[in-house]
Amino acid sequence: MTPFEFLLPYSLEEALSLLDPEDPGIRPVSGGTAVMLMMKAGVLRPTRLVSLHKIGQQHAAIEVKAGGELAIGGQAKLADIECHPAVRAGWPLLAQALRGVANARVRAVATLGGCISHADPHLDMPPVLAALEARIAISGPRGERMVRAEDFSTGYYETVLQRDELVTGIFVPPQAGPGAYLKMTTRAAHDWPALGVAVVLKMNGEQVQRASVFTGAATDRPTRLLQAQSVLEQRGLDAGAQRAAAQAAVAEAPLMGDAHGSAPYKSQLLRVALPRAIEAALRRSRSHA
Amino acid sequence: MNDTNTPERQVGRRIDRLESRSKVTGTADYTHNVVLPRMLHAKIVRSVHAHARILSIDTSAAAAVPGVVKVVTAQDVMRVIPDPHYGPAFHDQPILAIDKVRHIGEPVAVVLSDDVHIAETAAALVSVEYEVLPAVFDEVQAANNTDVLVHDVLRPAGTFPDLKHLAGRKGTNVALDYRLRHGDVKTAFAQAAHVFDHTFRTQQVVHVPLEPMVSIAQPLDRRIIIHTASQSPSFVRLEIARLLGWAENQVQVKTRLLGGGFGAKLYIKLEALAVALALIAHRPVRVALTMEEQFYMITKHATTFRIRSAVDADGRITARHCEVYWNGGAYADIGPRVTQKSGFTAGGPYDIANLDIDSYQVYTNLPPAGAFRGFGITQVVWAYESQADLIAHKLGMDPVAFRRLNLLENGRPHATGTVLKDAGLRLVLDRVASAMDWDKPLDRGTGTVRRGRGIGLGFKALVAPTTSVATITAGGDGSCTLLISTVEMGQGSDTAMAIVAADVLGLRAEDIRVVNPDTDVTPYDMATLGSRSTFSMGNAVKQAAQDLLDKVRALAQEVGLPFEGTRNISTLLKKKFGMQAGTVVGTGSFVPPYQSPDADGRSPDITPNWMVGGTGIEVEVDTETGQFRIVRMENVVDCGTPLNPKVVQTQITGAAIQQLGATFLEKMEFDAEGQLRNASFSEYKIPGILDLPHQMGYAAVDSQQSTGPFGAKGLGESGCFGVASAMAQAIDDAVGVRIVSLPITPEAVYRALAEQRGEPLANTDSTP
Repeated sequence: MTPFEFLLPYSLEEALSLLDPEDPGIRPVSGGTAVMLMMKAGVLRPTRLVSLHKIGQQHAAIEVKAGGELAIGGQAKLADIECHPAVRAGWPLLAQALRGVANARVRAVATLGGCISHADPHLDMPPVLAALEARIAISGPRGERMVRAEDFSTGYYETVLQRDELVTGIFVPPQAGPGAYLKMTTRAAHDWPALGVAVVLKMNGEQVQRASVFTGAATDRPTRLLQAQSVLEQRGLDAGAQRAAAQAAVAEAPLMGDAHGSAPYKSQLLRVALPRAIEAALRRSRSHA
Repeated sequence: MNDTNTPERQVGRRIDRLESRSKVTGTADYTHNVVLPRMLHAKIVRSVHAHARILSIDTSAAAAVPGVVKVVTAQDVMRVIPDPHYGPAFHDQPILAIDKVRHIGEPVAVVLSDDVHIAETAAALVSVEYEVLPAVFDEVQAANNTDVLVHDVLRPAGTFPDLKHLAGRKGTNVALDYRLRHGDVKTAFAQAAHVFDHTFRTQQVVHVPLEPMVSIAQPLDRRIIIHTASQSPSFVRLEIARLLGWAENQVQVKTRLLGGGFGAKLYIKLEALAVALALIAHRPVRVALTMEEQFYMITKHATTFRIRSAVDADGRITARHCEVYWNGGAYADIGPRVTQKSGFTAGGPYDIANLDIDSYQVYTNLPPAGAFRGFGITQVVWAYESQADLIAHKLGMDPVAFRRLNLLENGRPHATGTVLKDAGLRLVLDRVASAMDWDKPLDRGTGTVRRGRGIGLGFKALVAPTTSVATITAGGDGSCTLLISTVEMGQGSDTAMAIVAADVLGLRAEDIRVVNPDTDVTPYDMATLGSRSTFSMGNAVKQAAQDLLDKVRALAQEVGLPFEGTRNISTLLKKKFGMQAGTVVGTGSFVPPYQSPDADGRSPDITPNWMVGGTGIEVEVDTETGQFRIVRMENVVDCGTPLNPKVVQTQITGAAIQQLGATFLEKMEFDAEGQLRNASFSEYKIPGILDLPHQMGYAAVDSQQSTGPFGAKGLGESGCFGVASAMAQAIDDAVGVRIVSLPITPEAVYRALAEQRGEPLANTDSTP
């Protein structure tokens, strides 16, 4: 590890002013759970780290807006979101998915903004936020802009975020209906997933009015499974429809093998995970009703 | 302390480890905390090729970095140590690579600086030019094909008489071929009712002690002090003295508490490098590895084990042929001893009239393999117990009944010719079976969740010949201090030895002060390995304590006062010296009987004792994904008398958990060039608390080791013996597929299930 600058700005504006659009050696850091690992592995050798610890508690706020939307500050810690009563009541999918992220020590310091910005394809939250149709607020020298969570990641560790921008807010509309995130691990229990599936079902009686299905970890970015969605929307949720949706998902998802499992094995995991996620969503929804 | 005399027996007391308070309050003394004036930090430049000739090393850019004191290569090392090859079994490992590298991660150069970060930065600037050579990785291929030779000539160390015949052998990658010949295997196979032929494999794994390796060498006038996290201070002293051509008393080796060892910190590791660097720099030098660097230092052998068995119509094994290939990596370390010591038990704890064993230690271009909790036993048990289940299944026999029928009983000769004694094989097997409710039917589950169960049984011969020496002193107030070179590395040895001494002396274990190993102070002990301390050092300590009492008795006689054990030592000393002064010294030593095997691998006295461990596992398998969950695990050992039941529990359970890692999680993943792809905890997964069985039981059977201190013998490894095969059998029992290569991954199980259905999953190169 070579010496580097560690800066502790006291406002968002100051933090932004310390970033650089061109210099890859300058990086913001909040919880540090990813940055520290990358530095330890030698894949990141920063010349300057801009800590976001002191930019103000307002950037860590978690609140429900007048319109019923959940607003989460970029600096909100995963554990705080997971335990927030409003999140548990209104966004059970979010609370449930967060419980399975890494371990308690990581969740206690990792921030949601940092997690999204990191864009490791194995992260649990990006497919969950995409399925919830969340929007991400990005602040930079040119002001604030909004992107859909679904569009935030553009590829393997690649995002729409510029080097001089920060994720400052995550806006989640009311959860449309039953939802679940299924994390399939193939090594240690606390490991990164081999495959993740997030499902949100907007129901109209027995009909699926709108299905939101994303897979993560096995693809280079959270990927919407359009064909699977339309099978569910057209055929409903009976066992046959679930199987057909899973089949469609396997056909359309660009799954990649890695140390967690080969691509053919991940196809099988996806085939199994989608119906299980749907069943979990319905089960939870019933128990909350 | 005279007034603390207590009639209470110390053996069998449940007591906390003596060092536990210091550990939980953060005051425990570790080598990592050692800081010396003018100490330099070393960072190692490592080979990026598995096999290559070194054409040149350009150190100029690194040397030019401000703050760099020196960049060291093998040329510098040879100026202070002309022949810098070290190792316990073979003198084959250079302190820094000379002309050639033989595995990825091999140390090639070192940067020294006052600042560890500067050393690290500069290390990245050392430029090494290589001519890449063809490499060999597979143990069977390396043994049978000499296109790629890892070493030109074999260099046995001479320490072990049974390796001497290998000196000068050329044109082979086989560092040691151990053979056992017992009975007439060929005829028995010809007459067999059933013949079984299976090949089982284990993967290369690594110890990852949470305290990475660290050694600090401190050069002084005509002597050197080495502070090191080592399991074998006595051997380090011997080997460093040999390398330097110095007397043993010029080399002082000090250890502190170890943050785990598991065999990784045995014999000699970083010490030779630290010594060479300190002599070059004329300053203290600290060599400390990162967790990631440990993956390139020492590992556990990957193995290929072909096991053929002849079985009669009643299910009795009549003959067996074992062919075991041990992937030793680029340097022998203690691998040849693993090959031999575990090799001779490769036939299993069964009474087999005809048994041939061929066990090969093979050089390859992978990081070296050496001792790892179990010393090779887990690899051979994996094969012989997996096959036991397959035979039982084929013959329609219950797996426990099959084992009971074939079990080697006390009083019967093992295939080596050594008569089995004090080995609780049947006790352990029966206890595992009863703990698992083996006689009751199992709820086998329905739908996509199926249950199954399996048991595994293994045994291990205690390593021999070895020597342990102990000293106990009583001071002017009668308080006692125990001086031993056994290393406390979390296994509870300080407490165990205090219990033995205290029981003899009529004291409480807590009142004995146990001194950390320091070769200037504590007497010789071969090493802390192979669960030998309780038995070997325990016997030496017991003898030392008895000797101390004898000395006290003589003192009492001399000064004309009654002998009252340890109770009136201060009175006796005061009478003799006229004040609170003086020291009474008791010593003891222990060398168990042993006879080296003959050319056929046979000996009437091949081991001082047998350690036994058995495991039962019940699993739940998801037939749609191959994922599994251990519902229940029962681990049972024969450790003779449990000296400290608290430590018995943690040692049994700890060994079992560590072996669970090798069973279903851990594997060093190498690519086609020998690059290690998962050298960190983010990608190399060891069991976490969530991976543990939901129900986990343990037991030590009621048994006595007649030659052990108070009937005790070691138990640090026994909990790991039966784990892997029990798991494979449980999965087979649940869903009818057999995994023959470790680790057992969900994907491997699912692939086997798909294959069984006639719908094999496509192969891809993404899962080697």
